[in-house]
Amino acid sequence: MMHIPFRVVFEQRGETPRRLSLLVPLASVFAALFFGALFLLATGHSPIDTYSNMFQDGFASFNGITDTLALSTVLICTGISAAFAFQMNLYNIGGEGQLYLGLIGGAWAGIALGDHLPTLMMVPLVLLCGALAGAAWIFVPAFVRSRLGTSEIVSTLLLTYIGASLIKHVIYTPGSFFRNPNTSFPQGRLVADSASLDSFGSSRLYPTFFVALIIAGALYWVVKRTEFGYRINVISDSPRAAHYAGINARRTTMWVMLISGALSGLAGAMLIVGPYGKIEPSIITLGYGYAGIVVAALARNNLGVIIVSGILFSGLRVGGNNLQVTTDTPIHIGVMLQGAILLFALGGEAFRRYHIHVVRVHDATVKKVAA
Amino acid sequence: MSNTSHEVAQGPHHTSGAASTALSAHSIDKKFPGVLANDSVDFDVRAGEVHTLLGENGAGKSTLAAVLCGLYQPDAGYLMRNGKRINLSSPRAGLQHGIAMVHQHFRLVERFTVSENVILGSRDLPFKLNRREINEKVAAVAESYGLPIDPDATVGDLSVGQRQRVEIVKALYQGAEILLLDEPTAVLVPSEVEKLFENVHAMTAAGKSIVFISHKLGEVVEISDRVTVLRNGRVTGHVSGRGTTDTKELARLMVGRDIELNAQRATHATGHEVLQIRNLSLSIDDVAVLTEISFNVHAGEMVGIAGVAGNGQRELADTIAGLISPTSGSVSISGAMTTDCGPIQAREVGLAYVPEDRLGMGLVPSMSILDNLLLTRDRQIVVDRVSVRPEAARLIEQFEIKANGPDHLARKLSGGNAQKVLLARELSGGRSATKLLVVCSPTRGLDVGAIETVRRLINDARSAGQAILLISEDLDEVLSLSDRVLVLYRGAVVHETSGETAQLSQVGAAMAGLS
Repeated sequence: MMHIPFRVVFEQRGETPRRLSLLVPLASVFAALFFGALFLLATGHSPIDTYSNMFQDGFASFNGITDTLALSTVLICTGISAAFAFQMNLYNIGGEGQLYLGLIGGAWAGIALGDHLPTLMMVPLVLLCGALAGAAWIFVPAFVRSRLGTSEIVSTLLLTYIGASLIKHVIYTPGSFFRNPNTSFPQGRLVADSASLDSFGSSRLYPTFFVALIIAGALYWVVKRTEFGYRINVISDSPRAAHYAGINARRTTMWVMLISGALSGLAGAMLIVGPYGKIEPSIITLGYGYAGIVVAALARNNLGVIIVSGILFSGLRVGGNNLQVTTDTPIHIGVMLQGAILLFALGGEAFRRYHIHVVRVHDATVKKVAA
Repeated sequence: MSNTSHEVAQGPHHTSGAASTALSAHSIDKKFPGVLANDSVDFDVRAGEVHTLLGENGAGKSTLAAVLCGLYQPDAGYLMRNGKRINLSSPRAGLQHGIAMVHQHFRLVERFTVSENVILGSRDLPFKLNRREINEKVAAVAESYGLPIDPDATVGDLSVGQRQRVEIVKALYQGAEILLLDEPTAVLVPSEVEKLFENVHAMTAAGKSIVFISHKLGEVVEISDRVTVLRNGRVTGHVSGRGTTDTKELARLMVGRDIELNAQRATHATGHEVLQIRNLSLSIDDVAVLTEISFNVHAGEMVGIAGVAGNGQRELADTIAGLISPTSGSVSISGAMTTDCGPIQAREVGLAYVPEDRLGMGLVPSMSILDNLLLTRDRQIVVDRVSVRPEAARLIEQFEIKANGPDHLARKLSGGNAQKVLLARELSGGRSATKLLVVCSPTRGLDVGAIETVRRLINDARSAGQAILLISEDLDEVLSLSDRVLVLYRGAVVHETSGETAQLSQVGAAMAGLS
């Protein structure tokens, strides 16, 4: 029999030490950076230069940090969208599609309601319409999930493709309501001025950033402190206990999914009142909804931590995107790093759940007994 | 390792001198973070005997068994097999020495057949399996120990008792000489226990050694040749001689003090009717689960429902608790009709329900004691934990719950303490003062000390004038506590008797459907 002198033992932890909860995500980021460094070296780039450029562009300059916070506005929303559904073990993979619908819903309100209303009413209306459109987009998956138990993973994901086609349809169809009638080049029609916010100074950061922060905080409070949050916790842990206590799991499932869809829709509407002012068809290549899943995973679905992971992840993305402009490093390095961080973050879970140690198999004793 | 194992493990060894020690453990120490699970434990088992490891939950029985079969390596001490020192680095090494463990939670692949499960893990199988040959061999092994089983049956279709038989056959097929049975009766109904004990006798008669792990005193006395009692990781006593052992003495060794298991029966007259069940029938998927059940429970009275598991007990309890709507018939609690109106309304008229599954149904494992107290209560839109906290602390003290306070997570409680939390919540009333308490298998899986407390608490509730419906598969429990006993068989009440005059033989016959 072959004999390996060492064995790796996975011992399940009763309780995850507090320091590990912080250490593991940080270590995951560093491990991902290290992995990226190997890749950079192999393709003939200097990891140190590349990373310092990324850091500079993502966090350490005025434009960098404001761009990062601007992007995080969207990613925090899609992040809490994914994480909120996950509080009840529901996987809303279709935040991407709900975000498209939020864009459409927001643009509709911004165009149709015209210039009749003041900004103070118009912007909330646009945001609300976007959120409602996002919620409408998840309604069918939520309904069949809560009534029949149909997998929401498949239904929400597939609806994303339809959502992408819908974006293309409303922009590329001649004469479409959402298409700019004054240009022959297919472009989105601009929303009314009263539906657009001004950014802070020379930056590209909009006040919606603070809306995202407030919503993240509010949902955290809802889950921790309210009866609705209590129900979510009971159902996610033991559906039978919920039944025993007379808690209506169907209704709660429905609500949680609708709120999750609304949050992704809100992210889309925030793009309307903020940087875009119209439906930007390139949205379907940006993957902000999918990135929300990564942001939620990095925060381990903790609604309070998502603000941090959202900003961190946005910084990486902003820095990564600027690489191509400032250096000759391909943009895909940034994308690869994002993937690597997710992979390492999920892999790092093993360290939180298990105490992993290498033990020597007592070879010597065995031989002694044999002799 | 490979060198030693082959020397000793080949074939069944000579057993005519029945007193030879087959396996022994010497001064075993095993530490886990914060606990010394085994503290210089000595243990030995001879060929052809049943040696029981008795102890409360957490006494170190399972740890010692894991050391004996190679699952854990001891921190100190050593094992000897037939007089030779051995070192077991894994359960496979244990198996090579003829030592096998039958776990409490079976490790079978449900979609595989019996013989596929039996050969699973064998390393010397040919690429193409000869199923007929394997089936014959499996059947032969099973037959020789009186464990009849169809090798082609799919494990998923088998009853719990039959699955356990598959585990035992698997161990025997792999050449086990020493079988460690970890709480084997915990999952079995009385008739299956009887069969298991016959199998154990057949195995010992063939020279096998059985290490029997249990905390149930009655069966320990019935089956064991010798008993070793563990408490807090240490051996507190050895007792030998089948059937001659005094359960009281064993209980004292286990718990470290005298134990009174037979709670006092209520003597005072009972009051008005609290629970009324009329012609209750329930069909699930066109299968009749409950048929035409009618009975009452009065204030200050305890009615016991006896029966073998799966005769409708769980459904009866769930129907009374408003979790299932009956097909026909009615349930009323303190005069209010509660049929079909859901658990919340039933609780509002005085229902309290302790279900069989403590963690996962009665309690939410990942929540604190405090949050679990809120489960069956009226909660405001913003949950008010601040005002419940002092009550939680008071209940923890009053019910002697071993916990670090109201924030202690339910899943980190021992079985006995979890049951006390559940009883504390249900007895302290939530939506209204408790008038009817439905309890299912309240002491299942608990250790002796906890059983005593739980029975006392239920009895106190009865003395306080609450109506109690006790549903339990533990016949002794039902007979010793109840004022009236009903026997449920195939969803119908087939026998009724007063608790005091109940004849064990009659009730037993009714449970088996013979009345």
